[in-house]
Amino acid sequence: MKKIKAIIIRTAGTNCDYELKSAFEMCGAEAERIHINELIANKNKILSYDILAVPGGFSYGDDIASGKILSNEIKNKLGDNVKKFALSGKPIIGICNGFQILAKMGLLPKPEKFEQISTLSYNDSNKFECRWVYLKTEKKQGDTKCIWTKEIPDVISLPVAHGEGKFIADEKVLKEIEEKSQVVFRYCDKDGSKTQYPEDPNGSMNAIAGICNDKGNVFGLMPHPERYVYALQHPAREGYDGVYGWGKQIFQNAIDFLK
Amino acid sequence: MIFEIAIKMKKGFSNPHSTHLISDIKGIGVKGIKSSEYMPVYRIDSDITKKQAEIIASELLSDKITEEFSIVSYNSLSDKKIEKNSIEVWFKSGVTDTVSESVVKAIKDLGIENEVKVKTGHKYIFKGETDDKKLTKIATGLLANTLIQEYKIK
Repeated sequence: MKKIKAIIIRTAGTNCDYELKSAFEMCGAEAERIHINELIANKNKILSYDILAVPGGFSYGDDIASGKILSNEIKNKLGDNVKKFALSGKPIIGICNGFQILAKMGLLPKPEKFEQISTLSYNDSNKFECRWVYLKTEKKQGDTKCIWTKEIPDVISLPVAHGEGKFIADEKVLKEIEEKSQVVFRYCDKDGSKTQYPEDPNGSMNAIAGICNDKGNVFGLMPHPERYVYALQHPAREGYDGVYGWGKQIFQNAIDFLK
Repeated sequence: MIFEIAIKMKKGFSNPHSTHLISDIKGIGVKGIKSSEYMPVYRIDSDITKKQAEIIASELLSDKITEEFSIVSYNSLSDKKIEKNSIEVWFKSGVTDTVSESVVKAIKDLGIENEVKVKTGHKYIFKGETDDKKLTKIATGLLANTLIQEYKIK
């Protein structure tokens, strides 16, 4: 059977791209880290992949604002094909800086509109928050809309590391993503209950940590699942099957979805 | 033409660069300053049109959800007027301005091919009892590294 191919976009300042590659590979995919310039030089190359991932980090030094320059570059140079990728139903994930990029270019929460209608802004604490947090997996009748979060427990923990992670959208947009079950993860306490700082590290509206599009294939989140693919990476060595961390299941879901 | 684009947070949102400034000002012994507002400023020297400057401000330099922008233009730096009760901090000539290099790249990504020179600066507007002595103390004590930056007060 043909191997599923994942592409990880990299540029100056991206990080965790190696971890992301490793996460996809341990789930059975073939993963490549490709520089943005190579994709711009060959605009259709991106469409030859099955999964698109935008990693975390500090692309272009977070100049102007987090993710702003790379989101501007992708939208203006590769926008048509990235939108086509999203609307085709293939899985797309943006992690941390990647989430900021997807939101700022308008691929989330409505790729069909492809206009910025939400953002990630400065943490309420006014400082960089780097630690593990608890997340509540939003489910409707026991299942999630997002193809990336099937079989994920009701509460998991993942690490965050960001200074601009506060999810903001106007009331109308917020109402719509709530009604359409596009909220994937919310910050919570260890029992899954509503919480506030420090359990909620940034003061996001409705404690939102991750969202998806209406179709469920485009997923953006501030926490880093690629940093928790082994139980050993968790502070309390928690995980599943005695070996794996719950971050792995997120990548496995995208690959299983395509099989 | 020189366009100066200042970015301001919309009502209800705050920028961490200004959040702790008032307590820092008290910390260096300056009294009577009640509030401050911080704005990053981008000075673009180019033959772009006003419409293009607006596109750069709205699509690139500001966040549509949390920020708003204002643009002033002038023919040469000598025409520039400093806002009252404010401090502006800019890199000295010859100092590498890495953010400006990113902005030049991003303007090209927007499809604007004109030659552009960009400088980035910081603007702080104060409310309360201000005078030149206080503003100079704030500028030299907190806001500007005078080895590599120059400041202007009014």
